[in-house]
Amino acid sequence: MSESLPSYRDYEPDPAESTETPWRRLHSRVIWVDVAQTLLSLTPAVLALLVFGTEPSAGTLWPVVAIGVFGTLGAVTDGVRWFFTRYRVTGSYVERRTGVFVRQYRSVRRDRIRSVDATAKLRHRLAGLRVINIGAGQQSSAGESALVLDAILKADAEELRQDLLWARPNGTRGRDGTGQAEAVPAGVLAEARTEPAVDVATDDVDERVFARLRPSWVVYNMFNVWAYIMAIGLLWGGFWLASTFGIDVEGFIDGLADWDELGWGWSIAIGLAVTGAIGVIGLAVNFFTENWNFQLARVAGEHGTQLRTRKGLFTTREVNRDDNRMRGLQISEPLLWRWMGMADTNVVTTGLSLWSSSQPATILPRGPIAVARSVAADVLDVRPSPLDAPLERHPRAALHRRMWWATAITAIAVGVLAWLAATGVVPGWTVWLGATSWPLTLLGALVAYRALGHAVVGSYVVVRSGLMSRSTVALQRKAVSTIALRESVLQRRLGLKTVSAMTAAGWGAYEASDMEGDAAVEFAAAAAPGLLEPFLLREPVHTVR
Amino acid sequence: MAELTESGARTVRLRPPRHRIERKAVLWWMVQAIAFPGVLLAASVIVYAWWEDARPWLAVAVIGLAVVTVLTAFVEPFWRYAVHRWEATDEAVYALTGWVVREWRVAPISRIQTVDAVRGPIEQMLGLSTLRVTTASSKGAINIGGLDKDVAADIADRLTVITQQTPGDAT
Repeated sequence: MSESLPSYRDYEPDPAESTETPWRRLHSRVIWVDVAQTLLSLTPAVLALLVFGTEPSAGTLWPVVAIGVFGTLGAVTDGVRWFFTRYRVTGSYVERRTGVFVRQYRSVRRDRIRSVDATAKLRHRLAGLRVINIGAGQQSSAGESALVLDAILKADAEELRQDLLWARPNGTRGRDGTGQAEAVPAGVLAEARTEPAVDVATDDVDERVFARLRPSWVVYNMFNVWAYIMAIGLLWGGFWLASTFGIDVEGFIDGLADWDELGWGWSIAIGLAVTGAIGVIGLAVNFFTENWNFQLARVAGEHGTQLRTRKGLFTTREVNRDDNRMRGLQISEPLLWRWMGMADTNVVTTGLSLWSSSQPATILPRGPIAVARSVAADVLDVRPSPLDAPLERHPRAALHRRMWWATAITAIAVGVLAWLAATGVVPGWTVWLGATSWPLTLLGALVAYRALGHAVVGSYVVVRSGLMSRSTVALQRKAVSTIALRESVLQRRLGLKTVSAMTAAGWGAYEASDMEGDAAVEFAAAAAPGLLEPFLLREPVHTVR
Repeated sequence: MAELTESGARTVRLRPPRHRIERKAVLWWMVQAIAFPGVLLAASVIVYAWWEDARPWLAVAVIGLAVVTVLTAFVEPFWRYAVHRWEATDEAVYALTGWVVREWRVAPISRIQTVDAVRGPIEQMLGLSTLRVTTASSKGAINIGGLDKDVAADIADRLTVITQQTPGDAT
């Protein structure tokens, strides 16, 4: 870290360089954007007062006043930030000075720059600006880029990106387009979804496109519990806005139907249906705005190839993932939607935060499993794909162990409920409710058992497990850094062992739960080639004839 | 007529690591158990004696804590001592730990990132040490407790030397 953020003393640039390269400002359009934002944020208040003639009182006006104040404050702060920010790119450093009260100087050594990503919110796009995030391989969990330039012209951004990622000290562009094209297997480009890349930016000659947005994927993103949360948010916002403009919402709803005649049941049903419909439409719109122009491609990068996703209608987002750091792939299928083949696809890679809201490890929008599998095969570039391989089932004893646990959990729940009922804390029927959950937990045991599977396919180890979300992971065998076998007393009685493959990437550990004892040792030995060899005893099998 | 023949197939077993840990580790675990659930048990017994209104609820806590304390102080240490084994070769660190759930862990030297000999207050009194080996995986650490302090220091030195000679960034 100290090297990417040198203090003034550590920083010894070439004297010639430091005097020659002038400091540059962020683009002046940032100011225009700020002015526009101020005007825009004041518009609702003006409209409410002048056009709709709302009574100027705190109760009715607070939403528009809040919008106006926050918008204006934000714009003014942004303008001040623009005024005090300078940056420059010298031969060996990218430098930035910023801050009003606390002057901040930051520099990143150019040979440490791992990623240069351009993002743009709607206001940036309308103004032809781009925000540049320069990453230097710092801990991504800190959630901060090494250096952010907010914002510069789109053309400048592209030029800067090229310059930082491609220009080598000797001045040549370290890239070989033809070599990359030859590396593409002939059959891959011929597939239907990899249309030739025609619509993309200047420097995309040597790229392989794996997937683009298919409108039908919206179906997979419309129906979930977020629909209601979204609908409640939208309705609440709409209600406040309407009352600010003096619209009688209650009267409007009253006039829609004869609610008294319908009765409570129907009223609630209609209310739920309408709310749900609004939420579903909201999620659909959200899906399209987020994933508009989605594209997943492998492009040439400075250190080998990169896996790149681009998406977004108003806010565009581009993520580049270094292929050298990719250790595998994971496909998860949520239980409740498995019948429609819904799947999430993530890369297993080092240095990407799994908790980030932007989900940098996700390489495909939620969509059909068939697409996920074929894209996975392309991304891994291994055929047959490890994720398509048939998996070994786990022994029946694994099901028995899950059933024991399901029964034990139900018994404990019933026991606690019975004790609480006996002391009069909860009513007696809750005990019966607890008891009737037994078949449900047993069903869960069966589902969890059926999800289990494992295999060693080529240079990958594949494990599958999960109750609420069945996830299949293909992990490179050479990425396994620790191997562990685990055996509880119950597992010992049932002749089972659990194998965990630990790795630096993704969730850190991937498990093949409840394998047959000897098979577990063999699987562990295969998962980390050579590692267990010195500790194995190979006994000849004596069979009785 | 029954006849034993050697078929091509062989069963593969994991042999236990070579070395046992120090006998004093039993004492170490016992003192730990008395320090953690033991003190909690003593506190709840005192409250039970003084605060009559809370007795119906505290009885559960007292019984539960008593069971846990007896298990961790008088069963777990002996059981663990019978299970725990360790071994450090030039290629890998191998440990068998646990009691109700036992676990075999192997980490290759080439993936080791740090090697520490850690000594807590009780271990210092008993002349024991814990060898902690971490890899790039957040879940891949190997802890070998109850080693003689000199043995642990020796292994830590040896592993550090081997690790430095092994190329690669260990991810």
